[in-house]
Amino acid sequence: MNNKTLHLFALGIALSLAGPASGTALRYAEDQAPGIINPLFTTSMSEARVNELLFDGLFTDDRDLASTPALVDNWELAEDKLSMTLSLKPDLYWQDGTPLSTKDVVFTIEAMKNPKTLSSEAGRVEWIKSAEALSSQQLRLTFNQPEFQPQDKLFFKIVPSHAFDSTTVRRGDDFRTKPVGTGPYQFISYNPDNSITYRRNTDYRDSVGIPELVMREVNDKNYQAKLMLFESMEALIRVLPRDLAVLQNNRLVELYPYQTNSWWYTGFNLTRAPFNEPKVRAALAHMVDVEALLAPVGTGAVLSGPFVKSSPYYNHDVAPVSADPFLAGGYLEEAGFEQGPDGWQRDGEVLTLQLSAPKAVEDAQEIVLNLQAQLQQNGVSVTVEFLDEAEWKARIWRNRDFDMLLSQWSFDRNEDVRDQFHSKGARNFGSYTNEKVDDLLDRARNSSDPYEKKMLLREAHRVIHEDHPMIFLWTLDSYAALNTKISQVAIHPFYFFTYVSSWRMK
Amino acid sequence: MRPCVSFFATLVGAIFLAQLLLWLAPGDAADIVANDPKLREALVQEWGLDQSPLQRTLIFLGHAIQGDLGTSLTYRPGASVTGLVLPASIRSLGLLLGALLVSLVTGVGIAFHTAGRKSWLRRMIQIGSVVPVFLLAYASMTLLNEWTFSLMQAEVISRPGWFALPDQDSFLKTCLAILVLGVGSSALTEIHVASEQELQRIRRSKFIDAARARGANTTPHLFWNLLGPLTTLASNRAAFFLGGLIIIEKVLHVNGVGAMLWQACRLRDYPLALGITFVAAALVCAARLAGDIVRVTVDPRLRAQR
Repeated sequence: MNNKTLHLFALGIALSLAGPASGTALRYAEDQAPGIINPLFTTSMSEARVNELLFDGLFTDDRDLASTPALVDNWELAEDKLSMTLSLKPDLYWQDGTPLSTKDVVFTIEAMKNPKTLSSEAGRVEWIKSAEALSSQQLRLTFNQPEFQPQDKLFFKIVPSHAFDSTTVRRGDDFRTKPVGTGPYQFISYNPDNSITYRRNTDYRDSVGIPELVMREVNDKNYQAKLMLFESMEALIRVLPRDLAVLQNNRLVELYPYQTNSWWYTGFNLTRAPFNEPKVRAALAHMVDVEALLAPVGTGAVLSGPFVKSSPYYNHDVAPVSADPFLAGGYLEEAGFEQGPDGWQRDGEVLTLQLSAPKAVEDAQEIVLNLQAQLQQNGVSVTVEFLDEAEWKARIWRNRDFDMLLSQWSFDRNEDVRDQFHSKGARNFGSYTNEKVDDLLDRARNSSDPYEKKMLLREAHRVIHEDHPMIFLWTLDSYAALNTKISQVAIHPFYFFTYVSSWRMK
Repeated sequence: MRPCVSFFATLVGAIFLAQLLLWLAPGDAADIVANDPKLREALVQEWGLDQSPLQRTLIFLGHAIQGDLGTSLTYRPGASVTGLVLPASIRSLGLLLGALLVSLVTGVGIAFHTAGRKSWLRRMIQIGSVVPVFLLAYASMTLLNEWTFSLMQAEVISRPGWFALPDQDSFLKTCLAILVLGVGSSALTEIHVASEQELQRIRRSKFIDAARARGANTTPHLFWNLLGPLTTLASNRAAFFLGGLIIIEKVLHVNGVGAMLWQACRLRDYPLALGITFVAAALVCAARLAGDIVRVTVDPRLRAQR
């Protein structure tokens, strides 16, 4: 078959099946359609993004990522900081026409706190002792301990009390497929191809620019950019670094950089020898050329500690660990290792580690293989394994069965790293313990003074850096891609759609 | 009686095996949902994840007999497995039957032409059909998209409704899935070769010689005698097609049971995975049973044996 015949063949098919393309809807891609639409049971970012479209919190983020009222009209914090009185904005309605009242806010908090609900979001309201409706517009929240900026924690989404029988909410309740919110969009349908259609909420408190949104499930991340180029999609949440150039050169695509509070790391299991020895960890850190690892996966900033560089808590006086094989060797010799024919060994045992990484994380494979090569060049024997989501959570999160892992952490604007580095932190998988860090993190969490908090966390950054519980890698530059017919785009670094009501479509 | 016993034994065996594999796989549904140990423990209790595979199998079968396949845990939490699996099964069954038809019609049709002769067509089929399903699907999808896009860019055609694959459901996408499934991973060549061998055997048989000597048309005899072996081949092939469905549905984004099973296993949604296994095993058993019935109907010797 020559080229002409092939083109005629394609032409025949194309003409026989010609039809209209979507005109007024913004179609965006998710790797995985949300399994459930209920803010009480959010477990994935795709679900968090849907929540942002359909629901509102009491507070939200403004463009500078500072707290600003959403459903709240005004509020007053008690002098003892143990309670807060809030008034809701007047004339707010659920998308089914029912007026929003403080009963809904109290219901949401009680449902999340109810142990029988088994809410994955219960931690967001743990600090609230009780919620009491003073009237249909006014409520009082009481806290377990003094809270200096409670509005920073009141961004969880409010659900309608009239959609449930009791505060024991079940994952399987009908609400999951018939969600009703107060957000800028309302749910229309779950479609047979796993896509979800949303239409703008005409009663929303601001005008909403784009009439319709469609979430399309595209499992193959490699194909998402192609669909964007083919104009089958109007938005990509995050462009893969390798697709940046081709999208940048397309006249129909605009790239929007945004700074995420995410950073990559390789963490050690401090309960296992020899990674419980600071000198071994320091040696391994000095064997890694972070810049060389970063180059194939994109651009970003190399980090020296557990905050992104734009964070007020990042300690700029602490430099990232540099690749220095000579220094690494020195640390290993101090730890009793000596260079043998099979690499570094001590008491006849070769320094060996297994590097674990999640299968689903983009670029993880490339980073892990390059990291393996770097460590092996420096005399460390490394095996690698890639784990699917369930295995990752069982092995790493639950059983802490690993030597060294590659992963990333993402944070909301509170950037609370206590869970990761406090000896009692729920996500301290490496079992890192340092009393000074515990104290700094506790004091920072309870501090009412932003300057004091900043200084405490900067100090925590320095101490953690010196202990090397992790090799801090980088924060990646993130880009969203949107069709040029979408204008006035502002992107929230974590929830993406927070400012979607202001977006416009030509 | 024997086929019925075999039918139920296969069903129970398939369910138990699937249950055992899911149980052996590291992590469970509670790991997917819960980040907090207390929440995980509560979910393990509520979902019966602490039960043995045998206990789970018996409970599942007990409910399945009453028509209840349970509720999804992680894929679509709370949704009825029957409600999820039935529409998906219908979509997949359409692909499966279509692929079977493509394989049979093309394979047998070409075999009539090539049996007992040297033919370049045989070589072509062998080369084309040996390509794995996923590669064939990716290649056809990419080529179709790129050609059509270049025609659109050149303003030769307007944007077709199906464009771009595999984004939205269309007649073309269904045809492509059927074609790839019916041809790829040696599906076509297997049926073609088996048909050729059977045709040669039948053509050499005495009753065909007799028919030819009488000057009668031999084609109806060939078809009738080919029906038995082809039915066996088709019913065996149905099981292989079920495996191919997982790949083709993933690549071409068809929301059928193949793609759903992949997700159910990934998310450790064992009621859904078992529900799909139950339906798939029943389908394979039914295909084998139907094959037996056809063979007995067309072959008087098998009837006599019974």
